[in-house]
Amino acid sequence: MKCIITIELGTNGVRVFAFTLSGQVIGSLKGYYPTFHTEPDHSEQDPEQIFITTLYVLKNLLNEYIHPKKIKVACICFSAAMHSVLAVDKNGNPLGNAITWADNRAKKEAQELRRSALGKKLYAATGTPIHPMSPLLKIAWIRSNDKERFKQANKFLSIKSYIVHQLTGEYMIDYSIASATGLLNIHTIKWEADALQYAGITAAKLPELAPIFTATGKLKKAYQQSLRLPAETKILIGSSDGCLATLGDGVKGEGKATITIEDSGAVRVMGPAVLKDEQMRFFNYLLTDNCYVSGGPTNNGGNIFEWFTRQFGDFTNPFDIEDSIQQLMEEAAKVPAGSDGLLFLPYLLGERAPIWNANARGAYFGLHIKHERRHFVRATIEGIMYEIYSIGKTLAEQRTIKSLSVNGSFGTIPFCTQLIADLFNKPVRLRQQFHSVSFGAWLLSATEMGIYKSLDEAAKTVELPDVYKPNKQHHAIYADYFGIFEKLSVKLYDEFEAIGGLQQKYGVVEDVFKKK
Amino acid sequence: MNQFVLQYGKSNELLLFPHILELGLKKNGAILFNTFLTTVTEGLRIYYIIEGRFEWRINHQPYVFYPGDVAVILPGTSFGSDKGALEIGSFSWLHLDVQKPDNGQPMFGKWSGLSESEGAAIGKILLLNPSPVLSRFPDAGKILKCIQGELFNNEVAYQARVNHQLDELLIALTRQMTRQNHSTRDFPKTFMHLEEVLRQNLSHQWTVEEMAALVGMGTTLFTERVKSYSGFSPINYLINIRISEAIKLLKRPGISVTDIALDTGFYSSQHFSTTFKKLTGYRPSEFRNNHLRNK
Repeated sequence: MKCIITIELGTNGVRVFAFTLSGQVIGSLKGYYPTFHTEPDHSEQDPEQIFITTLYVLKNLLNEYIHPKKIKVACICFSAAMHSVLAVDKNGNPLGNAITWADNRAKKEAQELRRSALGKKLYAATGTPIHPMSPLLKIAWIRSNDKERFKQANKFLSIKSYIVHQLTGEYMIDYSIASATGLLNIHTIKWEADALQYAGITAAKLPELAPIFTATGKLKKAYQQSLRLPAETKILIGSSDGCLATLGDGVKGEGKATITIEDSGAVRVMGPAVLKDEQMRFFNYLLTDNCYVSGGPTNNGGNIFEWFTRQFGDFTNPFDIEDSIQQLMEEAAKVPAGSDGLLFLPYLLGERAPIWNANARGAYFGLHIKHERRHFVRATIEGIMYEIYSIGKTLAEQRTIKSLSVNGSFGTIPFCTQLIADLFNKPVRLRQQFHSVSFGAWLLSATEMGIYKSLDEAAKTVELPDVYKPNKQHHAIYADYFGIFEKLSVKLYDEFEAIGGLQQKYGVVEDVFKKK
Repeated sequence: MNQFVLQYGKSNELLLFPHILELGLKKNGAILFNTFLTTVTEGLRIYYIIEGRFEWRINHQPYVFYPGDVAVILPGTSFGSDKGALEIGSFSWLHLDVQKPDNGQPMFGKWSGLSESEGAAIGKILLLNPSPVLSRFPDAGKILKCIQGELFNNEVAYQARVNHQLDELLIALTRQMTRQNHSTRDFPKTFMHLEEVLRQNLSHQWTVEEMAALVGMGTTLFTERVKSYSGFSPINYLINIRISEAIKLLKRPGISVTDIALDTGFYSSQHFSTTFKKLTGYRPSEFRNNHLRNK
């Protein structure tokens, strides 16, 4: 018997799955690694800890599920969070920690570039929104603020590139991760000269570009031994979490969109053309040379409801937030749709799509004397979903969305999934058992191995068994309230600016964002 | 109760309690100068505010105390007030003799009913506690009052009772400290704090009991929560951090493998080598040679 192993290097940890060649899960394990916020706006991870955790979890998975049954590992495929940057010296040793997507240190650079003509040009060429998350801006920040690191840097890697280099000795970056760096021209699939110049580097400072199906070099001998894997074990460079979650839900072809809500969230579509947008609201990332994953990201997903739960939830079981979230969901279900007219703007962490306003802040609106605690619970969840819907609505200006799928730990909570179905007034499909990202990596591997002829064929086989049907009455109520929500989200622009300014002046905002 | 001071070696009340260096109650009716001078002692000092408002410096940091607050001053830490001023109000205190081995972590004598590992965990929490102030903790005042009563009344079995109350005080204080430092609503934050402390004290031979106590949890709940949150048992998570740090050190020339082993908490270079090889396939020296070869 043979298996396919997928390794997902996520924001909070690594998740390793073993699949059969027909896509059944044999086993999975996860391992957590921390994010350090040593300074306001900084968000870093220790590359060695990520590497050791990955190795440890992979080894445990092999020893627990694979080696005892004498299963042969046909291939190992990687996926990873986008936008990370790690500088390494000429020996490949890290210069400091890896900078993650959530890092905001380049916010000034981002603001300036976004307003400039160069910014518009770079967005159109690279598909990556001009935002501090983008490695383009992080490298530029290192150049002006950490000159020693910039001088010593032989390469600027992504976290995945570093892990693959540790295991195989090769510097490589896949199309998907590369297309999220803000440095790759997504139309020509070459490093974009203007972007390189802005960052102050040459292409030699970046890893080698590789299509997602590329097999890296062999595992180093020591790891062959410690993992008990043969030298011929194929290692696929793979893709990014966003692209693979979309593929994993079978969102290839016309009329399909997928909604991911974990801590943060995104609405994505996939197709042969990019989404063009004068206002630079969407991302366009590459899955393959003729397939783009496009959409809009939000900062405010499950993390906002977790915040609410920590403040107002009932903690009868100490340290058990899942339990408290569950209780609140049950409470919310007893409140009528629309929360009797209480609206919530979920912008506690500022916002990316669709309003792209770092100064946006949260608000409850429409409060009247009959509102109770339980209305706040439901309004909070509805507010998070209105935001998701508003991203979907802007996407729908360019793409017809006929069917929807949902994934991610928050989006797949039944109450949330139903809300999405009602809001969009469309049936929503999902798969409960496992992560769409890893399944996307399995589809990629299976295609590479010839089990499927193409990714199109692979995506068509995806079946999402659970269906949530929209409730027409609820939809009508939500549609009414959404009108006000949408207006508020832009109408308050000046006041967001003012309160954001005051929060900065009085030094509270740094602290808020530190906890992100 | 009137004000008093008992000192071991001077007061007969403390004959049976060589570990109680000093116990007292002060009622101060007018501001005094040059009385509350900054001192450093080898004992663990605990002050409980009954009335008034006091501005004291602990380890050169200013703190303000209100009724119900407790100050916990570790052995070897400076404590007193600016210019020795003593404000109006009343407070009680206890100076407890503790053994202080090289690592600076307080340990308690034979008088204590705490087991060795419990005592070590309490010592660790006291040592790592970020703030010497416990706000609004009247339980500490009640225990101090009970100890005073026992010492003056000498009822049957008072010796045992006083020692029990001392243990009770240490337990109550450390539990309050962990509660004050960790919200039971936010495990990720608690876990992050643990991660920080482990990294700062990586050479320490951590036990699960100590780690659990540090975040104010029982070992069973702690192990379960860590496992479900991180995917690893607490000890394996710790090994993870140790190896990650060791890798960084191995990539730098000039520090010996034995030193790296001890710095990162392995009890010998052999132990380090076995653990490292099991995980990475390399012996530490091989790993180092591979990474320094290109230089």
